[in-house]
Amino acid sequence: MGIKSFSRARAIHVMLVYTGGCNGCDIEIVNTILSPRFDAEQYKVFLTWNPREADVLVVTGPVTALNKEPLMKIYEAIPEPKLVVAAGSCALMGGVYKNIHGDIPSEEICGPVDQVIPVAAKVPGCAVRPQDVLAGVVSLLPTLLGAD
Amino acid sequence: MDEKLPRSEVIETEIPLGPVHPAALEPYRVRLFVEDEIVQEAEITIGVNHRGVERIMEGLPVEKANALTEKICGICSNAHVWNSVRTAEMALDIEIPERASYIRIIMGELERLHSHFLYLAHGCETLAHETFSMRLFYLRETIMELLAMIGGNRVQYGCGIIGGVRPRCELDDAKIARIRTDLDAVETKLADFADRFTSDTIVMSRITGTGVLPQKQALKLAVTGPTLRATGVANDVRVDMPEYEPFDFNIITQEGGDVKANLLIRVLESFESIKIIRQALDNLPEGPIVDRTWEMVDSEPVHSYIEVPRGILYHSYGLEDGKVRSCVIRTPSMANIGAMQYAAIGNHVTDAQLCIVQCDPCFTCTDRAIEIIRRD
Repeated sequence: MGIKSFSRARAIHVMLVYTGGCNGCDIEIVNTILSPRFDAEQYKVFLTWNPREADVLVVTGPVTALNKEPLMKIYEAIPEPKLVVAAGSCALMGGVYKNIHGDIPSEEICGPVDQVIPVAAKVPGCAVRPQDVLAGVVSLLPTLLGAD
Repeated sequence: MDEKLPRSEVIETEIPLGPVHPAALEPYRVRLFVEDEIVQEAEITIGVNHRGVERIMEGLPVEKANALTEKICGICSNAHVWNSVRTAEMALDIEIPERASYIRIIMGELERLHSHFLYLAHGCETLAHETFSMRLFYLRETIMELLAMIGGNRVQYGCGIIGGVRPRCELDDAKIARIRTDLDAVETKLADFADRFTSDTIVMSRITGTGVLPQKQALKLAVTGPTLRATGVANDVRVDMPEYEPFDFNIITQEGGDVKANLLIRVLESFESIKIIRQALDNLPEGPIVDRTWEMVDSEPVHSYIEVPRGILYHSYGLEDGKVRSCVIRTPSMANIGAMQYAAIGNHVTDAQLCIVQCDPCFTCTDRAIEIIRRD
């Protein structure tokens, strides 16, 4: 384990980007990491809003057309190694909004997330359960900490 | 001060925020026009998370459309299902069993509690008072577990169906006993929080007089819900709803329309919600919870208004061969955008986020295609 991984293992920063879902997953994820019931902060996982200090990017929502560019900019701003968790049915497959035009390419929805940025872990659920979010983020840790 | 108006001359300093910004959980754009660190004009642009739910609803069978309305908002999901189902029941002339109506009200009021606690927690976090915020998040978790127990999911519990409520939302004695004990605990803790919050002079001096929305302006902008009641107008649709007739509750109003009034009105309304739930549990009628003997007929568009945590929610659609036609949804946050813009005027730029948060924004609800009809 290099010195970077050593220090990263003591403060993993999760950034949440919200790309047009229904707010349900969003609040559940904030709840998971911040709120005292689940409290991921006791395991040194922190919620951040600054892409420059983030290690894991959690994306919710079906990526609306206006949100595509900000999402890509945020993804590029995160330093390597970076991993993306897609959380919730909308982020995985567009959810109920994907079917908006049938098979005609949609003007409003650019998702699912893996069509816009590479996704490392997928967490299902509508809305996601806090336990599942934790399991999804934890499943990425070996990759993240073994990177350098 | 009856009204405050944006300065019309050209202001060169502009602070753009968004669409993804640390202080705002949801994506939206704000442009603050600033002079000497005082906000002179605020402009909120929505449309970042427009998904067009009405358009997907158009032509769907009404049962599917009801399930889809739940996905409009993850905070007040039950309110959307309730109102959509209520619209269909008005169109088809269905009378639901009394027990179903009571269970819907219990779910609705539990949802109001969790929404208000989320608002208070978010508000305290924006005030940078993390201790209060954590206490409220912990309180909210109790309500979330009650909702998960009744509906089977933490966020979208799909309680209402046409003709009543889903059979899995039936309340037995064990569930009722648990709701009672948990509500008692929540009430004690909330009272404790309110005591500490109002006796904290530093917090109080920070929020008194910040983000004032004058009453005249609130009426002019057609602001709804607690944001309007915080300016002193007693306006609550629950009074006119036949579902709420058997219940005894007060309409809470506050004076001033500032952050303090907005925070306190949510605390006081939470106590009223607990009161309503207790009454519903005490007088819960026996009988079936769903009536499936209705027939599908065509109908003209019907309108339904209910009071949700953020204000008045409006759903309207007509039915044709069991499919939804001419669907219109108006969410309360849509009306409150004007309040957010005006509340920020005249405040220090560091308080601008607080002024927006005090109007309880829910931008997922808000992103509808709108047409402004100006009547002079």
